[in-house]
Amino acid sequence: MSVPALELTGLKKSFGKAEIIRGIDLSIGKAERHAIIGPNGAGKSTLFNLITARFPPTAGTVKLHGEDLAGLEPYQINRKGLSRSFQITNIFPAMSVFENVRCALLWAQGYKYSFWNLVNNSRGLTEGADAILDQINLLERRNLPAGTLSYAEQRALEIGITIAGGADVIMLDEPTAGMSHSETDYITDLIMKVTEGKTLIMVEHDMGVVFGLADRISVLVYGEIIATNTPELVRADSKVQEAYLGAALEEEH
Amino acid sequence: MTDQITTHPSKPSERMRAGSLTLTVGPWVVAAIALMIMPYIFTSNSALTIMNQMWITVIFALAYNMLLGQGGMLSFGHAVYMGLGGFFCMHIMNYVEDFGLALPLPLLPLFGGLFGMGFAMIIGSFSTSGAGTRFAMISLGVGELIAACSVIIVAFFGGEEGISGDRTYGLPFFGIEFLKQIEVYYLISFWLMLSALLMYLFSRTPVGRMANAVRDNPERAQFLGYSARWVRFYSFCASGFFCGIAGGLFAISYEILTEENLNAASSGVILLVTFLGGVGFFFGPIIGAIVFTLLQTVLSLQTELWAIYVGSLFLATVMFFPGGLAGLMMMHVPAVRLGKAGGLLVPYVKTLVPAAIGVLGICALIEMVFHVRHGATGDVEMTLFWTTFDSHTVLPWIIAALVAVVGIGIAKATAPGLKEAWDEANTPGGAS
Repeated sequence: MSVPALELTGLKKSFGKAEIIRGIDLSIGKAERHAIIGPNGAGKSTLFNLITARFPPTAGTVKLHGEDLAGLEPYQINRKGLSRSFQITNIFPAMSVFENVRCALLWAQGYKYSFWNLVNNSRGLTEGADAILDQINLLERRNLPAGTLSYAEQRALEIGITIAGGADVIMLDEPTAGMSHSETDYITDLIMKVTEGKTLIMVEHDMGVVFGLADRISVLVYGEIIATNTPELVRADSKVQEAYLGAALEEEH
Repeated sequence: MTDQITTHPSKPSERMRAGSLTLTVGPWVVAAIALMIMPYIFTSNSALTIMNQMWITVIFALAYNMLLGQGGMLSFGHAVYMGLGGFFCMHIMNYVEDFGLALPLPLLPLFGGLFGMGFAMIIGSFSTSGAGTRFAMISLGVGELIAACSVIIVAFFGGEEGISGDRTYGLPFFGIEFLKQIEVYYLISFWLMLSALLMYLFSRTPVGRMANAVRDNPERAQFLGYSARWVRFYSFCASGFFCGIAGGLFAISYEILTEENLNAASSGVILLVTFLGGVGFFFGPIIGAIVFTLLQTVLSLQTELWAIYVGSLFLATVMFFPGGLAGLMMMHVPAVRLGKAGGLLVPYVKTLVPAAIGVLGICALIEMVFHVRHGATGDVEMTLFWTTFDSHTVLPWIIAALVAVVGIGIAKATAPGLKEAWDEANTPGGAS
């Protein structure tokens, strides 16, 4: 097997005496769509924050394409091709929708901390941002302040910002949280479309979305992964059913 | 921040370009022409001095707003960067005089800018890791430190009397020796146009756009590949550069720099100027600097209490119009776009004229209190609004109080009408 896109070994995190992540080993292959599920408080978001260096881990390593990410800042990890969204919408509310996406493109297009290029003169930036807006169906909202968008639109924008930089590992934290059925379908289709050929790691509560999107599923319970497998096998796993999935699956049927 | 509002959703890319071009070139040409002809309208020497001070303050305020408005960093010690640039320029000026260095005076502000930027790089290297209280406290501390140094490091700061020089000893620049105030005026105007243009362009560069992003949401910016700290650092250095240019121009214009140029009071003034003008728009600090300098110079000739009025105006701005004067102006854009701004005129007159008269009544009371408390014994005559009266009699007090109460009362009574007109003017459709 080639080098996995993301590899976690012995990852642990404690806040004071409370051990939230209790030793996680996980390997996610290139172009795999991987969902992490688990009951509330299992540590899913914490795991995300550890991978993206929002918090430092207590022990263990995170490797992106075989490269150890220890000690790197979030912006350095992002430059290596890992991009994430947040459970609570995290955009630039006072800036226009277009500006939000354009900011996400700047580093990827090599502008760095340039103060000798004018952003409005860059065809690459304008067209790139418009292409993303087209993809996430927000072209008509282009010039509105992002904070005035509806909740679902803000979530879509968040995904747009996350994918805009062209990262090949995309991490989405509960992209459909708090959405109606039709909005959920819209976002699911959107995720399908924009993560084509990329590695996707997703935390999600909606089982319909998870089973529709994921190639493999990891079940996280009390800071430990109790099963990692294809959706069918996870569904059949007795440990998983016992710990968590049973109730949710019954609702599905 | 303003140009994307003018674009239209359809055909975005073309609209964007055309929109930003027409919108950006026009005001600059108007500003350049205005700067050119101002000395022909206001010809007196004192008017020139006021304008010189005004344009220097404009540069300083714009540079300050690169931090406050664009980068979300509140600095309480920004006079340091202007002051140091000024002191450095003054030393160069004296060096030119003593050793006959071949440096034309018009280039001097550039060195002030470089010195300001150099100092900003040192301070910014540790102050820009955060934008909140930590940054504000460090800026305050550094400000106090440098102000204290000014009486300790006498060789550089000249102690309490400061350092002075003579701008005319340098090389003549194409025959201009900068003996006359008008020559200095055009030198300052040139640097004003150049600095303002560069600062505007800075806000349209990738690092300038990211400064806004970091201001709004530093964490998200980090997850887009940008270090919030470095983005702040670049803004900070750029701001220091333009502050230094303002300082250099100050040195040329006044030929003296003292501790006053870099102490906390001067830092406070520039915060006040910038906020008064409005931090949300690029042109806000320009308006702030013009209004403030006018108040400071013209109002201070009329009354000793001018600082009270400026302070009250600042308080009112913070409390009621956090967008500043620029924000107040831009509030009217939707109404103008709907073609309904004309409907606001009469309600405005009905409310604002009585309000202004009422406020003048209050001012009269304040002035009278001041006169009674501080006038020399036996000096009972005072002149207010071209009227001379005895401040120790009852009648003027009754009149002033009446004017205040009636003025404010009418304004209060007509305010709901203004609110109605405002809502109407901002609702699309229907006849106005």
